[in-house]
Amino acid sequence: MIKAIRLVTLIMMISPAATYAGDNERLLKEIDRNLNPQSYESYRKLINIEPGGRKKEFVMFSVKKGLEKMVVLFISPASEKGRSTLRLGENMWLYIPNVGKPVRITSLQSVVGGVFNNADILQLDYAAEYNVETVESKGQQYLLHLKAKTKTVAYDRIRMWADKERKLPVKIECLTEKNMLIKTLHFKTIKDFGGGIVRPSVIETDSPLYKNYKSIMVFAKLRKRVVSDEVFTMTFMPRVDSLRK
Amino acid sequence: MKRLFPVLLLLVATVTAAYGEDEYAFDERELGAETEKKPYHVGGFAELRPVESWLNRDASLYKLNFYDSTVGERTDEYNGRVQLDGNLEYRMVGLYAKGNVGGRRDYAGNHGDATLYEGYGSLAPVDSFRVHVGKESLKWGKGYAWNPAALFTRPKNPDEPELDLEGYYLARFEYTRSFEGPLKTVSFTPVFLPVFTGVNEDYAPRQDLESAAKLYLLLFDTDLDFIYSYSLSSRSRFGFDFSRNITTNIEVHGEAAYLTRVSKTVLDDSGVVSVRESAAASFLAGIRYLNEADTTFIVEYYHNGAGRDTAVMKRQYVSINKAYAFYEMTGDDGLLQKISDSADTAIAKVNPMRDYAYARISQKDPFDILYVTPAVTWIYNTADYSSTLSPEIVYTGVTNLELRLKALFLIGEQYSESGEKPNKTRVELRVRYSF
Repeated sequence: MIKAIRLVTLIMMISPAATYAGDNERLLKEIDRNLNPQSYESYRKLINIEPGGRKKEFVMFSVKKGLEKMVVLFISPASEKGRSTLRLGENMWLYIPNVGKPVRITSLQSVVGGVFNNADILQLDYAAEYNVETVESKGQQYLLHLKAKTKTVAYDRIRMWADKERKLPVKIECLTEKNMLIKTLHFKTIKDFGGGIVRPSVIETDSPLYKNYKSIMVFAKLRKRVVSDEVFTMTFMPRVDSLRK
Repeated sequence: MKRLFPVLLLLVATVTAAYGEDEYAFDERELGAETEKKPYHVGGFAELRPVESWLNRDASLYKLNFYDSTVGERTDEYNGRVQLDGNLEYRMVGLYAKGNVGGRRDYAGNHGDATLYEGYGSLAPVDSFRVHVGKESLKWGKGYAWNPAALFTRPKNPDEPELDLEGYYLARFEYTRSFEGPLKTVSFTPVFLPVFTGVNEDYAPRQDLESAAKLYLLLFDTDLDFIYSYSLSSRSRFGFDFSRNITTNIEVHGEAAYLTRVSKTVLDDSGVVSVRESAAASFLAGIRYLNEADTTFIVEYYHNGAGRDTAVMKRQYVSINKAYAFYEMTGDDGLLQKISDSADTAIAKVNPMRDYAYARISQKDPFDILYVTPAVTWIYNTADYSSTLSPEIVYTGVTNLELRLKALFLIGEQYSESGEKPNKTRVELRVRYSF
């Protein structure tokens, strides 16, 4: 009898926590889906701004499929044209036309310089890489504390402020295991891309590691699209341009 | 003043808007220009590369190369080239070409050349299958400085491993499938390379048909390649390579190759250098590591089973010195010409020996200065203890322009690989503009 009472008490104690955990994971997945369809294509302009105001711009075409597949093709400037980066889960490759073969890269490298690294450019769903530790209510926003599921994820911890009504991120802080701030992403300028996709079209980032430098990613032509799995393979990297219409 | 105020207000509002969020709009008009896809593409780069070299007049290869010229201890050269690449795409059919036109002015006068690096037609009826027929440069293998497992490829220069290489005429088929689970990708690539008069003559010494197949697997997050080739003249080769990220900042890779018949230069018991055919095994192991300060370290070790040992190399350097002494005494350059024309000049090629270590350290954006990358590369011959050291600095801050200042120091004793090269030091500036 005592055992039964203990068991019931334990279940009553665990259930709310489990429910909250489930709700928190659902919230993160909802934020992911509001940010991007699970499979989509888009154009992005990446602007690196130096402290003196000088800019360097890159235009990229990207295609994502499912939870772990993404490929990005550089369209301009001419010096970068034809480069592509592929992500398949935690595997990343870079293809440079002059080099002629894909080489493995790591998530902390940056193929474009500036504050954005490869993991930012080839960002998958947050729920695919992070567990939600806790969620705080902060006025009109949620504050989600995320912890990387594995050691191979670029940032060990993330603090995500999300708009309660739209369930879209407003600000993300990327942190090391020791809670050192690596960079902050600011999500701005909500735009209706059509097809029910309403999301921030500008991501601005700064970093204490790059004082007074800023990098900005601007999204355009974001739409749902499903391509074959074979597009996300090393052998397809020289042909990513054939996906553009 | 009352009239001026609204105008100022409007001006401030305009400037504020210009530097506000709208500054980063990627609007539809801009999109049309920047994302429009054309059925063709033409691009490339123009490059200027002045080089200053300090020569080693005691080196064997200086004597062999410059015995009949007036070049002294220092020489300069001016290189210029334009590389064009273009493609044409219509549905499943494509044409691709990449070529190079260059000129050089050096101690011997003016030289010019034009090379078609690649030119092939492609057919890709589905995403998973494609065929290429024509001249193509296959870049197999995972090594950064060397690729012992690579087939149908000209050897790359470890001091400039990212330079374009001229291809061979071949037919290549590629079939790829993706899966869920630990085995994510399988790709099968058969290749056929014919050798006959006027086609791929520099690939094999006689008429032949080389065929090869590569099986690629992405298994447990590891790239794996298994390579086999066979020729009508009964040469077989086996190759294997792998690459894997073990953490977010460490990548490991390796290659191995076994050739059943390869020409090796050997020194026999009587002290005579001769060329024999035998089997050879080669391998490479490497690691790439990126630290928190954005410093990249690449370290590789390469064993070349077909390479020469120090005794053979010394014998050949001594032969050159004897031929040069004979030329100085008699004015007869017959012996030097004979060595220069023979296969022995292979010693002048890049890394002709057996065991090498390679290390490269590059620092991205030092002191928070964007687009500046200093690097230093060290290639060490573990048999004769000679080495090359190449510091460089690259600046890419101006769109489409790359500036690189690079030096090369050759360090080695007499009869060592670097000690017998014609250069002691080389400094070059490379200015490259992409279009």
